[in-house]
Amino acid sequence: MKLLSIIIKSLKEQWRSFWILILTLSMGPFFIFVYYLIIETSKPHYDVAIINNDKGYILRSEPLNKGEEFILFFTGSVKDSVNMPFFIKKAHDKTDVLQSLKNKKTDALVIIPEDFSEHLVKQQDGDSTTPAEIQFYGDLTNVNYLLSALWANETMNSFIKVSTGSEDLIKISETGIGTSSNISDFDMIVPGLLILSVIMLMFTATIAFISEVENKTIIRLKLSRISTFEFITGITAVQIIVGIISILLTLLTAVILGFEFHGSAAVFILIAILTSISMIAFSLIIAALTKTANEVLIVGNFPLFLFMFFTGAAFPFRSEGLFSLFGYPVTLQGLMSPTHAISALNKIMIMQMKLGDIIPEIIALIILTVIYFLTGIILYRKRHMTLK
Amino acid sequence: MSVPTPETIIKITGLKKSFKDLAAVDNISFEVCKGEIFGLLGPNGAGKTTTINMICGLLPASDGKIDFQSRELKEIKSLIGYCPQENIYFPKLTCFEQLVFMGNLYDIPSDRCRERAMGLLEMLGLINKSKVCAKNLSGGMKRRLNIALALIHDPGILILDEPEAGLDPQSRVLVRNFIKSLSKEKTIILTSHNMDEVDRLADRVAIMDYGKIMLIDTPYNLKNSIGEGDVLEIEIIEESADKTAALISVLKHEYNIIQSGNLLIIKAIHLIDKIHGITSSIKEAGFTIKETKLRENTLEDVFIHLTGRMLRQ
Ligand SMILES: Nc1ncnc2c1ncn2[C@@H]1O[C@H](COP(=O)(O)OP(=O)(O)O)[C@@H](O)[C@H]1O
Ligand SMILES: [Mg+2]
Repeated sequence: MKLLSIIIKSLKEQWRSFWILILTLSMGPFFIFVYYLIIETSKPHYDVAIINNDKGYILRSEPLNKGEEFILFFTGSVKDSVNMPFFIKKAHDKTDVLQSLKNKKTDALVIIPEDFSEHLVKQQDGDSTTPAEIQFYGDLTNVNYLLSALWANETMNSFIKVSTGSEDLIKISETGIGTSSNISDFDMIVPGLLILSVIMLMFTATIAFISEVENKTIIRLKLSRISTFEFITGITAVQIIVGIISILLTLLTAVILGFEFHGSAAVFILIAILTSISMIAFSLIIAALTKTANEVLIVGNFPLFLFMFFTGAAFPFRSEGLFSLFGYPVTLQGLMSPTHAISALNKIMIMQMKLGDIIPEIIALIILTVIYFLTGIILYRKRHMTLK
Repeated sequence: MSVPTPETIIKITGLKKSFKDLAAVDNISFEVCKGEIFGLLGPNGAGKTTTINMICGLLPASDGKIDFQSRELKEIKSLIGYCPQENIYFPKLTCFEQLVFMGNLYDIPSDRCRERAMGLLEMLGLINKSKVCAKNLSGGMKRRLNIALALIHDPGILILDEPEAGLDPQSRVLVRNFIKSLSKEKTIILTSHNMDEVDRLADRVAIMDYGKIMLIDTPYNLKNSIGEGDVLEIEIIEESADKTAALISVLKHEYNIIQSGNLLIIKAIHLIDKIHGITSSIKEAGFTIKETKLRENTLEDVFIHLTGRMLRQ
C-alpha cells in the first residue's frame, strides 16, 4: 500500500523531471550512434583502379577480351565475400589515376597490357614465350597499397588458373575462427554500450533519492509511517523501469544500425534488471554522501568515469585476474558490477553462450548488488532518515 | 479562568538542547493539555523551533524528557501533525496528489485520503489549486498547503511552527479561524513571534526567550497580571541619560512606567483622563514629545515587562 504510493509518486516525479530523464535515456543511443560513425568511417577500405588496355583477340572467329573478363572476375570475387573491403573502379586515364594515388584517394593501380588476351590464348595453347606484363602502381610504403596489390595479384593468379585451366601447386584453405569471424567491430562494442545506458541510471536514481533531502520532504517521510526500506524499494522499482527502457532504446538503436540480436531475450532482460538494481544500489551510496542534485552531478562524475572506462562499457577493457575463483577471474575492476554485466552480455550476445555459462557473472552481480545496497541503506538511513 | 482538571497529553521536563556553546533550549518544562491551543511566544532565536523539533523527534535532545502518555514511537508518529516553519512540500506533485500521498504514508486508505484532501483544500481556500503543482503556488498558498499536509492523517496533536508567517492579511484571518475551528477536537501547539496571533488563538501561552520559558499562563491572566487597562506609549526626542532617569523617577511615583529606548510605556486604568497631566509633566521636564499613542494592554506589553525589551520581528 505505502509501497505502491511511493512507486506511483516516484513515477510521476520521474516523468515530470523530463529533462533529466531524456538525458539519461538518450545517452546509450547517442553512444551507439557515435561509435557506429567512428567504426564506419575508420573501417579498412581499399580502392583499386584498373585500366584495361587489352585490345582483345579473335579466336575461331569469336572476339574475346580477357582484360574485361578479369575485371568482372575481380569485381565478382569481392562481391562474393561480404567482408572484403576492396573496391574496384575502372579507369581510363593513367595521369588522373596517378594523381589520385598521390592524394591517397586510390590505393593501387593495375594496368592490363594491350596483348593480355593474346598472351593468355597462346599460353593456353602451350606456346608461351614471354609472360604478359601486368603493371602495378602505388606507394610502396603504404600498407593499403601492399594489401591492395596482394589482393589484386592473388585474384589475377586465380583468374589465370581458371582461364588457362592450369593446376594448383599448393592449396591453401582458410577458416574463420568460430562465429567471431562474422562479428564486426560495431557488434563487439554493443554489449558494453548497452550496459553503459544502464550505468546512466546513476543520475536519475541518485537524484530521485537525494531530491527528498534537497526539498527537505525527507522530514515528512521520516515523520510518516513509511520505512526506509519501503521508500528505497519504491524508488528502485521506478528506476528499474527507467533502466529497462534505457537499455531497450539503446538496443533498438544498435539494431537499426545493423546489430544482430543473439541470445535469449529473457536472459538479456534478467541481466538488464540485475545491472539496474546494482546501479540503483550504488546510487544510494552516492545519495548518502551528497545533499543536493548539483552535488550529485559533480560527485557522480567520478564513479561514472570509472564505470565507463574501466569496466569495458565505453570500450573493451581487459586485464589479468588477480586470482581465479572456481575458474572465474577475480579482478580489481570486478568490484564494479558493470564489469560482470558486460562480460555476461558478451557471452550471451557475441559468443552465443547460454544462461548456464554466465552463472559466475550473475552471482558476482548479485553479491556486489547486495554489498552496494547494504552500504547504501546503512549510510543513507544514518545520514538522512533517522528519527531521534 | 479555571481549567477543569485537564488531561496532560505531552509532558516536557528539563528539556535542553545545546549547539556547541549555545544553549538554544535551556532546561524548559511544561505540559500541554488535551484539546487546548498552547502558544510558544518569543522573538526570533528564542528556541521555539528547536523545542518543536525535539517534540517531533527531528532533533535529539541534549537532556530532558518528552512524554506522550508513555506511547510508542509508531503511535506518536500518527498522533502528531507537523507544519514546519519553512514550507516543505513535494514541488512536482499537485496539491491534491501530495495530500493523498502523505495520507497513504500514514496507512490511511486512499478513498479516505482523497476525501480528506478535498475537505482540507476546501477549508484552506486551495480547492481551485488542487491540480496545480506545489512549486507553482504563491508563498501564502504554500503555507496553507503545509497546514493541510500537517492534517491529512487526522492527527490528535497539531504542531504549527509560525503558522501565520508569510500569509497575506486575508489568508491570515482564514487560517486563524481554521485553527480555532480545529481546537475543539485537537490539541494544538503553535509558535509565534506575533503577540497578536497568540493572543487571539492560544488558550495558554509560554513566553520564551534565550532558550528559557519565563512564564506560562492564559493570555488573559498574563495581561491582567502585568497591569490592567490601557497602555500609553510616548515617544520622546532623546535627551541625556541623567535627564531621562530623573523624569522616569518623577513619573514612577504616580504611574507604572517602563522605559524602552525613547519609548515611555505607562500602564494604568482610565489612562485617557490622565494623558494631559502626563504629557505636561514630560514637557515641563524639558522633553519634546514626538508621538503619543493610547491602546489596550497586549501580550507585547507582557513581554516588555518581563524582559525589558521589545519584541523585534
Ligand atoms: N542546527 C543548529 N546549529 C546551530 N545553532 C542552531 C541550530 N538550530 C538553531 N540554532 C540556534 O539556536 C537558537 C534558537 O533557534 P530557533 O529554535 O530556531 O529559534 P526560534 O524558532 O525561536 O526563532 C538560535 O540562536 C539559532 O541560531
Ligand atoms: Mg523558529
